[in-house]
Amino acid sequence: METKLPKGRETSQDHNGAGVSTEKLSRRKFLSYGIGGIATAIFAALAYPLAGYAVSPALRKQEEHWIAIGSIKDFKPGNPKKVDFSFRKHDGWTLVNQKSNVWVVAKGEGEFNIFSPKCTHLGCAYHWDDNQKKFMCPCHGGVFDITGKVLAGPPPRPLEKVSYRVQDGKLTVKGV
Amino acid sequence: MVLRIYDWLDRRFDLRPAMEKILIHPVPSWVNWLYCFGGITFFLFVLQVITGIFLMLYYVPSPDHAYASVSFISHDIQFGYLVRGMHHWTASLIVVMVVVHMLRVFWHGAYKNPRELNWVAGVFLFLLMMGFGFTGYLLPWDQKAYWATSVGTNIAGSAPIIGSFILKVIRGGTDLGAVTLVRFFTIHVMVLPAITVVFLVAHFLMIRRQGISRPF
Ligand code: HEM
Ligand code: FES
Repeated sequence: METKLPKGRETSQDHNGAGVSTEKLSRRKFLSYGIGGIATAIFAALAYPLAGYAVSPALRKQEEHWIAIGSIKDFKPGNPKKVDFSFRKHDGWTLVNQKSNVWVVAKGEGEFNIFSPKCTHLGCAYHWDDNQKKFMCPCHGGVFDITGKVLAGPPPRPLEKVSYRVQDGKLTVKGV
Repeated sequence: MVLRIYDWLDRRFDLRPAMEKILIHPVPSWVNWLYCFGGITFFLFVLQVITGIFLMLYYVPSPDHAYASVSFISHDIQFGYLVRGMHHWTASLIVVMVVVHMLRVFWHGAYKNPRELNWVAGVFLFLLMMGFGFTGYLLPWDQKAYWATSVGTNIAGSAPIIGSFILKVIRGGTDLGAVTLVRFFTIHVMVLPAITVVFLVAHFLMIRRQGISRPF
């Protein structure tokens, strides 16, 4: 902090009664920079771990879960089917039963489109309309065809595909 | 950079006179390193407030979750062991520093007229620090926490006549359980900090008004 003392009064007394000379002013400057530097160092030494501590859950890798949802014979092409399932997962320090579901669309020959149940607009649950043969979202009128392509409404992207595996005629999907 | 921001604000709000009045004041020549301990205590208190707020980001004061959320902080959150460790060790260090500060004030006779009330404010601050320690000790909800609090509350319960009533008030019932944990938590993170700030402000205003005492 700079003092407002006039330059000329080099060794006179200021109103605090302390002798103030130009030499003392530079000492004051030295100390205030020193204090500022130490304060900055303490602040940085605290800020770095505290920031890491606060954002750490966001940096975590998502757990992977694979869930068996039935035999491939259960699913017929042209007839999307919603499959509900649940799995155990970590939620912070707890283990919870996560309920979830996927839409399974058989493409024939052991190939599938498995869709995440969340609309790509703002995450509402959509459903299959069997008369119109389209996926309809009730929230803001999003419409998708059987391959997940957007036909109408605000959704910006096609339906999100979920990874799956077929082994010995059994269908397994990645749970989220 | 900081100075330029300060200048910018100063040109608009004329901060300089007020800041100089607060920051620039004479320190008597007899002041030496022994006078640091109050300031160190205050620094540690600020550190406790900061690390405490960060611990609250993950801590849950319920018997189902307290132990697991604390171990989650220590083992699963980045720097969690560090933040918890700082809060843990500073809790002990602050008591040491308060006592050293108190001894210095006592040794120099700084509690005498006209500073009696600041000594009294100091005693309250000391008791508040003890309160932080006692209530904070229960929060991890492990064996040590549980039995230490069991013993501590039983001491209060051993007072004649009103003892058993006091015991129930402190525990929120006959047994040490969920109700005890939440009330200790609330006292630790809300009640004591609020009261402490009031006493700190009083302590500092009195020091500023009366100046630092001449030793002996
Ligand atoms: C949270 C706890 C406390 C904090 C943060 C604190 C802070 C301070 C600070 C910064 C000073 C300036 C001088 C110095 O540091 O020596 C001071 C002075 C003083 N403190 Fe404390 N203090 C605390 C607890 C206590 C306790 C427990 C007592 C005694 C029971 C006490 C009694 C005094 C007195 C009488 C003065 C005036 C000393 C003088 O004028 O020389 N304080 N305190
Ligand atoms: S969330 Fe589906 S259309 Fe908006």
